[in-house]
Amino acid sequence: MRRVIQNLSLPLAQIRRWPEFGVILAFSTIFVFFSVLAPMFFTVRNLTGIFTIVSELGIMTIGIAFLMIAGEFDLSVSSVYAFAGFIFVTLGNSINSVLALLITLVAAGCIGFLNGTITLRARIPSFIATLGMMMFIRGIMMAITGGRTVAYHGDLIVPTLLTRFMGHGFRPSHIWFVALTVLFSLILTRTRYGNWVFATGGRKEVARSMGVNINRVKLINFIISSLMAGLAGCIAINRFAVANPSFGIGTELEAIASAVIGGTFLTGGHGTIIGAFFGAFLMGTIRIGLIMVGAPAYWYMAFVGAIVIIAATINIKLRRLEM
Amino acid sequence: MQQDFPLVRMVNISKCFGAVRALNNVSIEVRHKEVLGLLGDNGAGKSTLIKILAGVFPPDGGEIYFNEEPVKFSSPKEARTRGIETVHQELSLVNIMTISRNFFLGREPTKRIGSIALLDKKKMDEECSRVIGEVGIRVRSPNEYVSILSGGERQAISIGRAMYFGAKLLILDEPMTALSVKETRKVIEHIEEARESGASIIFITHNVYHVYPVADRFIILNKGVKMGEFDKEEHQAEEIIEMVASSEGVL
Repeated sequence: MRRVIQNLSLPLAQIRRWPEFGVILAFSTIFVFFSVLAPMFFTVRNLTGIFTIVSELGIMTIGIAFLMIAGEFDLSVSSVYAFAGFIFVTLGNSINSVLALLITLVAAGCIGFLNGTITLRARIPSFIATLGMMMFIRGIMMAITGGRTVAYHGDLIVPTLLTRFMGHGFRPSHIWFVALTVLFSLILTRTRYGNWVFATGGRKEVARSMGVNINRVKLINFIISSLMAGLAGCIAINRFAVANPSFGIGTELEAIASAVIGGTFLTGGHGTIIGAFFGAFLMGTIRIGLIMVGAPAYWYMAFVGAIVIIAATINIKLRRLEM
Repeated sequence: MQQDFPLVRMVNISKCFGAVRALNNVSIEVRHKEVLGLLGDNGAGKSTLIKILAGVFPPDGGEIYFNEEPVKFSSPKEARTRGIETVHQELSLVNIMTISRNFFLGREPTKRIGSIALLDKKKMDEECSRVIGEVGIRVRSPNEYVSILSGGERQAISIGRAMYFGAKLLILDEPMTALSVKETRKVIEHIEEARESGASIIFITHNVYHVYPVADRFIILNKGVKMGEFDKEEHQAEEIIEMVASSEGVL
């Protein structure tokens, strides 16, 4: 009898060891919940619609999670997201869109470099440095544009590459999101650099004493975080074909929440990109699901708040069994 | 094999931090296959001395010879490639990483797939399992988190790791602090094993009783100055304690 119980509990124990276990369980529950409650929820058109908003949030979340695992924060991603969209539209209206995208991504990367340099050189918490950067970029955008919306009327190369419909509601951004998830997951779990990222966030003194250049790791991750936010911004702007300086306000917290729901430690040193992927999906599913069951949009915030608390609690409990 | 020159010679090492003279013309040597106890109270300059040796920072003055060859380390990595490994009680392992990932941190083996170098997880796990087995730690897998290990087990893994990577000189910084009596005995065994496999060991402590059972020689530092150097055969633990105490003006 005892052996039977052990045999039964073994697979469960192994599944529980997956760091993504909590978020996948939560996502499945919410998904089934809305599929049952809202008749139009489980349709190809709706699911691809969720995929679209999740891809934009999720690409940002990957960058945030990658940086958080290295022990730093980036609150400026929402401003970089809007800023990148603005630069792209402005440039794309006069030059080739591919060139405009490249310049935009370089500019986004530069903001990440600046975030990292300020954090590491001035030795202030990245929470503060990037909070400042978030307000600074947003303020400058508002001041320069006076809050006006700019429409995109450049060529269709980048819109096609990033986000134009491919049929059944599928868009290239879905592929980008999945591809980037796989790429960053591989980097994190299967490369030397990934090991250094974990160590830098887990205990930077140990990482340093074992010969890891922790400042370089952090700087690179700041740049990646900004780059991903910039890409997400370009995708969103290409979908709407307009850029507005108040675009994406508050998405930095959604992205951080997605990462935390996905099992990333706020304190660094632990987390997964697959978890961030499902974290973003959970957020998108709740947002669309609530609309489809006819709940007022305000409920989204409340729902997400509750999920963040529950998910963080479950993740901590699961980790306690291991660590 | 008996070499007649020492493994390490540090000659007239000086180091200042601002107005504080942390080390004043300190010379020490570490012979091949010996355990050297580096004794002194807090602030005596022990840590500064070994940090210079481990490449954490350069000395203001003095020379270092490794196997009679003058060396200047600009980083811990450089010292490590020469075979100088430091094991800090608190700074050796990341708690929220697995044993295997910790074991190879900074020196991860990779296998190439095309032009991409991926971690050789199989090698990492196998080699790590072998070493933790050799140092006598019982864990289910090398993929357990370090946080479940005791202080003694962490020391054992750190020492095992240093030896695995071919340490010629093992620097142990207060390795017994906060360990149980039983674990202390284990660590002494690991130190003896390391010496037998050809390494020299510098054992830093403020507690003579920690190092007395295993050391061959002692050096006492006080306020940045070398106060004395003793062979174990000639002195009892109590005599050495007296010397440490008197050098500080306590007695």
